[in-house]
Amino acid sequence: MKSSKPGSAFALKCRVNGEAVERGLDPSKTLLEFIRGDLGLKGTKEGCGEGECGACLVLVDGKAVNSCLMMAVQLHGKHLTTIEGLKGRDGGLHPLQKTFMEEGAVQCGFCIPGVIIAAEALLRENPGASIDEIKRGLTGNLCRCTGYEKIISAVEKAGSL
Amino acid sequence: MPNACVVKPRTLKELWRLLPSLGPSRKYIAGGTDLVTSANAGLDRGDIWVDISDLRELKGVRETKNSVIIGAGVKIAELGVSPLVGRRLPALAAAIPHFAGPSLRNMATIGGNAANASPCADAVCALCAEKAEVWLELKGKRRKLPLPSLFRGPKKTALKKDELIIAFETPKRAHSGAYLKLGPRAYFGISKAAVAAALELDGKIVKSASIALASVAPVPLMAAKTAGYLVGRILNKENIRTAAALVKTEVSPITDVRSEAAYRREMSGVLLERALNSIARDLL
Repeated sequence: MKSSKPGSAFALKCRVNGEAVERGLDPSKTLLEFIRGDLGLKGTKEGCGEGECGACLVLVDGKAVNSCLMMAVQLHGKHLTTIEGLKGRDGGLHPLQKTFMEEGAVQCGFCIPGVIIAAEALLRENPGASIDEIKRGLTGNLCRCTGYEKIISAVEKAGSL
Repeated sequence: MPNACVVKPRTLKELWRLLPSLGPSRKYIAGGTDLVTSANAGLDRGDIWVDISDLRELKGVRETKNSVIIGAGVKIAELGVSPLVGRRLPALAAAIPHFAGPSLRNMATIGGNAANASPCADAVCALCAEKAEVWLELKGKRRKLPLPSLFRGPKKTALKKDELIIAFETPKRAHSGAYLKLGPRAYFGISKAAVAAALELDGKIVKSASIALASVAPVPLMAAKTAGYLVGRILNKENIRTAAALVKTEVSPITDVRSEAAYRREMSGVLLERALNSIARDLL
């Protein structure tokens, strides 16, 4: 059994952006708190803390999840990919990063790491996603600068790269 | 930060051995989409969470000779891509795209959707129309309930302390199904009203009907009178209209932050009419 008492650390083993990680973990932390606090990866944002906004999305075993609603303990034995772990095949910018820049799909930028993670999860399963499929794939992500049009065209463009 | 300490048994057997050693305010956590939300909002002060999200005994969708069995730990997203669900449980399959958004469907489990006992639970409402029974286990002893009788009120269930939802069992039968939801936007909102319908048909004659509604009663509601009216009748416009009028007498909606009682009652009829019409259209 993997157990933990208040104040005692949980021995977490996982992979983060491709690298093996072993940490003593406060078991009352959410995955988001672990990512930003323990790992120091600040690309993943906290928006609402209740699963409405999608700013905290990361990939766990390739699936997009809201890291504010997952406990860090639940990452044990799994693969985490944060926005920092997305790269192009040549090690440079990821296609979504390129098209978001080209389309001007970023305004304040706070929601964008989560939007790109949602789009990456969608395009991995469905590289030829239609506009309608892109809209449904991004239903869990809010952009309060209201820049959805350009976000959608950037995702559509990345799918064809 | 949730004020909770998480323990993670590896098997069901280990879970039953472990529980007595934990404090009294223990709770199960699976996908976390309800529990961590309320903890983040400071509404849940539970100090020990027993993580059941990786228990193998709760995984998988399988079929037996007469049933489809869905493990309580199955993620909503898994139901959406399960060929067995697509083939055997049409009302449930139709409900999945209406369940929150893609990332929450990757986290939330069908067992958690039931344990949370919200009257708006989409997957639970659809499972009720699919005539599901629910398997519960307490310290190795199992019992089975019709799914609707699990619910006693908003956020209240018939679960005993520590009793765990293990699986859902639905009868294999040839039937048609539909799920329609009205929310604040096309996808992702919590429903103002939703309807699940499952019909066994002989040509255009309804042999059996089960109709469940969400967000229009304190619990996922079985519209037994409306279903009873349809049995033995032809699925035509006139009978569908009568059923839609009847269902409005069965619901008991409230006015709250999401909608108004009168609107919810009216929309229960509209949604049922559309759901039954869509099933009738598929017969052509």
